Amino acid sequence: MLEISELRKVYESPNRVVEAIRSLTFSVGEGELVCVVGPSGCGKTTLLRSIAGLLPVSGGEVRLAGSPVTGPPPRMAVVFQEYGRSLFPWMTVRQNVELPLKEKRVPPSRRAELVADSLEAVGLGDAADAHPWQLSGGMQQRVAIARAVAYEPQVLLMDEPFAAVDAQTRADLEDLILRLWRDLGVTTLFVTHDIDEAVYLGQRVIVLSSSPTVIMEDLKVDLPAERDQLTTRSLPRFGELRGHIYEQIQRAREAR
Amino acid sequence: MRALRRAVTWFGLPVLLVLVWWLVSGGSFYLPDPLKVVRAFWDTWVSARAFEDVLPSLGRLLLGYVAATLLGVGLGVLVGLSPRLRATLEPVLEFFRAIPPPVLVPLLMLLAGIDTPMKVLVIVSGCVWPILLNTVEGVRALDEVLADTCRMYGVRGGSRLRRFVLRGASPQIMAGLRQALSIGIILMVISEMFASSSGLGFTIVLFQRQFQIAEMWSGILLLGLIGLALSFLFRLLERRVLSWYYGSGAARA
Amino acid sequence: MSRTPFGARRRLLYGLAGLAGLLALVEAVPRLGLVDERYLPPATTILATLARELATAGLWIALGETLIGWALGLAIAFFLAVAIGVVIGIVPGLRAATTSTIEFLRPIPSVALVPLATLLYGPSLSSTLLLVVYASFWQVLIQVLYGVAAVDSVAYDTARSYGLGSWSRVRHLIWPTALPYVMTGLRLAAAVAFILAVTAELVIGSPGLGAEIQVAQSSGAVPAVYALIVLAGLVGIGVNVAVRFLERRVLSWHPSVRSEATT
Ligand SMILES: Nc1ncnc2c1ncn2[C@@H]1O[C@H](COP(=O)(O)OP(=O)(O)OP(=O)(O)O)[C@@H](O)[C@H]1O
Ligand SMILES: [Mg+2]
Repeated sequence: MLEISELRKVYESPNRVVEAIRSLTFSVGEGELVCVVGPSGCGKTTLLRSIAGLLPVSGGEVRLAGSPVTGPPPRMAVVFQEYGRSLFPWMTVRQNVELPLKEKRVPPSRRAELVADSLEAVGLGDAADAHPWQLSGGMQQRVAIARAVAYEPQVLLMDEPFAAVDAQTRADLEDLILRLWRDLGVTTLFVTHDIDEAVYLGQRVIVLSSSPTVIMEDLKVDLPAERDQLTTRSLPRFGELRGHIYEQIQRAREAR
Repeated sequence: MRALRRAVTWFGLPVLLVLVWWLVSGGSFYLPDPLKVVRAFWDTWVSARAFEDVLPSLGRLLLGYVAATLLGVGLGVLVGLSPRLRATLEPVLEFFRAIPPPVLVPLLMLLAGIDTPMKVLVIVSGCVWPILLNTVEGVRALDEVLADTCRMYGVRGGSRLRRFVLRGASPQIMAGLRQALSIGIILMVISEMFASSSGLGFTIVLFQRQFQIAEMWSGILLLGLIGLALSFLFRLLERRVLSWYYGSGAARA
Repeated sequence: MSRTPFGARRRLLYGLAGLAGLLALVEAVPRLGLVDERYLPPATTILATLARELATAGLWIALGETLIGWALGLAIAFFLAVAIGVVIGIVPGLRAATTSTIEFLRPIPSVALVPLATLLYGPSLSSTLLLVVYASFWQVLIQVLYGVAAVDSVAYDTARSYGLGSWSRVRHLIWPTALPYVMTGLRLAAAVAFILAVTAELVIGSPGLGAEIQVAQSSGAVPAVYALIVLAGLVGIGVNVAVRFLERRVLSWHPSVRSEATT
């Protein structure tokens, strides 16, 4: 579905040149959920924005269903790291979720249905007429997710979506993502810096080195498909995978 | 009891000031007592004058202000969206803004005569700069994450302009409009003080030349009331347009 | 929207190109006959006239008079507004009692006072001062009131409980907190004061730049009108730059200067 080959990104400004990504090659199959982990500042956001077609790359290419990505592809949705800023403060929650559908010219009745369903799915059925700034951080995050889901994307990109919420909300949101992914079969790339989260959510975990970034390891998560916060996290295999990735990242730090 | 306290805090000082005015005005030529001014106000402005002088002045103000808004916001969006254009034009625009708007009156009298077009032009050419520059600033400061969101979800063209650019820049645009309003009132009056035969500014200066002191004061009072009414209307508009902005607490940052 | 990072040098170059473009436009339009030279003289003519005017003592005197009216009026308004604002801010109940009056007087356009100034003082510095002081007073006062209101009430109570007298409280607590607001008020007032100084000269005929423009206009000296307007714009920029510089100097040690960027 998604093929990233020899992707390279160098930020150049008049007085600073930063090689954020040296070379990344990997692919994500249709309907797969792949997690990307790496230390802060290693270029995860850069990678995501390149895949989304929001950032011109310095080398290599990104292909979606065979064709190269040059701008934001029509059936891709992104949940940004700064989710609070990604909601329009002058619109209600409903309007925020509805806007992309209007642009897609979805007929009004179908639109209302999609908005209601997606808000229901993230547990915000009652908050539809509130403005984003009247909601808590976790609720805003769920609005951003609802907007992405209602858009019915082929590919969903998420950038550290749970970095700023408390542990309980985080666990709930993780299960929400798993449920949505399973129900909709959408190809998902999930960026995080939390190793536990990556192992818990992903079918595969891609471990990035620190900047200039290369892939340390592309790891298959051989845990049962049915995940559960309590049982999955207490499996011995979960601990092994986590420990392994932890070592990798430690090595990446020292190699620098 | 509470209502009484509130009434005293609201009306106490104004009543006191009017009383002081009354006391000091005894026999003064330049400062007639409040009652005389109020009577002059009634006789002068609640008459055909309201239609011959006041309404046309306000009409010109409205016309010029609306034209300046369209022009300023339109150009401001264009300039604000292009970093190159902005870098190129900013010094030029800053220069135009720094020109005290009233000096344009003599110039525009040369170019456009002394009739209505000149007066409207004066108002436009004074009001447009704060609106334009504030719009540029507002568009420049639009949130990048929101801009990316628009790109990602295919929000472009007119919809992007209406739903993102103009709304996102509206706090700064409104700030520009507020500055422009007080400049507009000044220019409305001044353009009529020059070589004119009607209008509010003209009439007040006429009273002063003819030493109709009470009438002159009533004119000052009227201008004050107009300023007050317009700023009140503006605040209503602002509350409506920017309710999300005040609600989100961004205004108090 | 991809934001190309713009270096300071690039910005400067573009800005200069913009100014050059404006000059070229003003030069070309009358030369090509698109607008009659009687209405818009070419840029070179305007600048030459400006240079010639600047060589005369009369213009410098006029400029000096404008700046005196501006500075004096601004200073009077500033000190009055700060004094009154602090008193209103710290005496309990006074803020509430003055709100209605301030809200009524503030929107009165200062040009409403033109006939009064003419009547009382005729074309003189005093007329200019009346308008300038009235207009700039409110700008400063409102900001001072914001500033005093911004004093943290806990800090205020702490200061009181440590037995700081009212004078020390003003000096060590209220004034430092309000200072950034006061400087904002000064910056806004400086621009307004310049506009009103020129307006008074233009309309009432008090000596200064505005009066010179009026004279040039009535004698039909079009290039001189343009030259003087350009000069007024340059002085306006100078006024803004000077006040901004002062603001930065005064606030350079202030902890709030980092966070406060624009108002
Ligand atoms: N617009 C930009 N201009 C210049 N350099 C940038 C830009 N954006 C990011 N960088 C640099 O690129 C590198 C990677 O940044 P990026 O935001 O992709 O990291 P990240 O992995 O998402 O970090 P975090 O986990 O903290 O979100 C950093 O060194 C950063 O300084
Ligand atoms: Mg990031």
